[in-house]
Amino acid sequence: MSSTSAPLSAPLAARAGRASRLAGSPTLRFILRRVLAAIPVLFGVTLLTFVVMNSLPGDAAQELLGASATPAEVHELSVKLGLDKPFVTRYWDWLHGLVTGHLGHSLASGQSVASILASDLPVTFELILYAFLLSLVIAVPMAILSARRPGGIFDRISMVFSMSGLSIAPYVLALLLIWVFAVKLGVLPAIGWVPPDQGLGQNIRSLTLPAVSIALPLLCFYARLLRADLIEQLQSEDYVVTARAKGAGPWAVLLRHTLRNSAFGLITVIALNFGTLLGTTVIIEDIFGLPGIGHELLTAISNRDTPVVEGAVLVFAVVVVMSNLVADLLYSALDPRVRYGSNPK
Amino acid sequence: MAVTPSDVTVPGALEAVTGPSVGPRSRLRSGLGLWIPAGLVALIFFLCFVWPLIGPVGSPTGGNILEANLPIGSAGHVLGTDQVGNDEWARLLYGGRASLEIALAVNALGIVVGGLLGALAAYLGDWRDAVIMRVLDVFIAFPALVLAIAIAEGLGPSEVHTIWALSFFSVPAFARLARAETLRIRELNFIAAAGLSGTGPVRTLVRHVMPNIVPQLMTFALLGMGIIIVLEGALSFLGLGVPPPAPSWGNMISAGESVLSVTPRFVFIPSIALFVTVVSFNLLGDALRSRWSQR
Repeated sequence: MSSTSAPLSAPLAARAGRASRLAGSPTLRFILRRVLAAIPVLFGVTLLTFVVMNSLPGDAAQELLGASATPAEVHELSVKLGLDKPFVTRYWDWLHGLVTGHLGHSLASGQSVASILASDLPVTFELILYAFLLSLVIAVPMAILSARRPGGIFDRISMVFSMSGLSIAPYVLALLLIWVFAVKLGVLPAIGWVPPDQGLGQNIRSLTLPAVSIALPLLCFYARLLRADLIEQLQSEDYVVTARAKGAGPWAVLLRHTLRNSAFGLITVIALNFGTLLGTTVIIEDIFGLPGIGHELLTAISNRDTPVVEGAVLVFAVVVVMSNLVADLLYSALDPRVRYGSNPK
Repeated sequence: MAVTPSDVTVPGALEAVTGPSVGPRSRLRSGLGLWIPAGLVALIFFLCFVWPLIGPVGSPTGGNILEANLPIGSAGHVLGTDQVGNDEWARLLYGGRASLEIALAVNALGIVVGGLLGALAAYLGDWRDAVIMRVLDVFIAFPALVLAIAIAEGLGPSEVHTIWALSFFSVPAFARLARAETLRIRELNFIAAAGLSGTGPVRTLVRHVMPNIVPQLMTFALLGMGIIIVLEGALSFLGLGVPPPAPSWGNMISAGESVLSVTPRFVFIPSIALFVTVVSFNLLGDALRSRWSQR
């Protein structure tokens, strides 16, 4: 990354004083400010979740006992679960627990929320990781080949492909893939999840269709973005002219210079887009019956299991807030001009 | 591909993206790139909103169970009938109407409410900016699906409630864009000129800032149409959007899922409609964006 920054004329004195000024470094202060700003946002998310769960008709006691339960039985269970306490007390108790590191227990199963999340998160994480790897492995070469000759035959085919992929709804793609690979060809399982300890191959097979359903729209989005950025850099940046003047071939310019710069932009967008991706996994996990956090969230909402919903929503919110922060940081790392907020004329 | 360093000013300047040649052929192609998707969008609107009123389109509900599962091309039923005997073509058109109505309403709410909030936040600045944006951040960080489920279960699933649920998703997105655009425009000379000539803040905001950010919001809304149609389908697919027996593409796909291995057409027909509509809006949005950035 040294090729992008570190102006040669930087005074050496400034470098020497770097360690002592670390506490006052603008980047560090920026991170601190953003983390502090995230706290009220996360607080708002937990409050909103409580309000939403509280406003739903029925409660956990009713859902657990079913429609045949007498009001007395429901009341007894409500008292036992602490649901008869006022809203503010329940929220305060939960918040107090959160601050001291306890996410509470599921109203439905009595399991601790932390252990539920610990068993769900790896599934969702593996799914997202798999989808990410798939999309990057295809998107990056596709964008490079397109940017090599914009308007060429490969570029046109890949643009049509990526526009189609971008416009297909993940749940439609999921059903299409099930129909082709599970119903017609019968080569991949349509539903269910095999834990990695029962064989990694089986585990990856069971996640392949869900991962492709998420990855295809994603990779089309990435490929279009990277292609546009590569072409723009090739056409407008001085360093491209310099590299060409030094005799670098077209592939060398593309791979060694332009791609490095464009990759930052892509990573920024990947981070910004992470929240939307989590939303997609909810419906994909539902279709494929994967025991991930999205599936847990849907079940917990229908059980009115507020502590589990709170835990899952909090995970979602923290991931969104953190990935936005990472995106901002990467953005200023990519272009030092952004850090100082100046716009060179 | 000619590199023209003389054009290069600020890296990332929009004019640098435009292609090297503007011959009659490329102009024709960019014209087609705009008018084909525009025509498709117009055709979809016509089919969903006007054709059921004037054409021979049956009722989307209340079909005869004896006519269930008729294949494509049956007499009187172009696309056949569904599992309970409703005309598939009629359901497709009325379902599209629901999708388009929801997408239009959600985007309109996004432009008006989100646009005003974002412009206001950027214009007022300081702590008011921070408060507005942090509240919107809560909604961005909150999983939209949870809100949608809450609204659907709390108020009952319906088209209007779907619009409310999805607006929590669109308003913050439009607000962010409007805020960024307003911050950019606020620094321009004509805003300073308006201030110097004694224009008040409200009038400046409404007469000078808003007209300049609306084109950006409109282009975003075209891409938003595709996103909202997909999301509405997702909600209906989970049984949280338009409630059956009223058709929507999402609940048609959902109903077809259970018989996917036997009669895949119940999934494929609404899926194709959904796909063609989203592609048309995306292509139109793309074409308009590149046209506006060329100017």
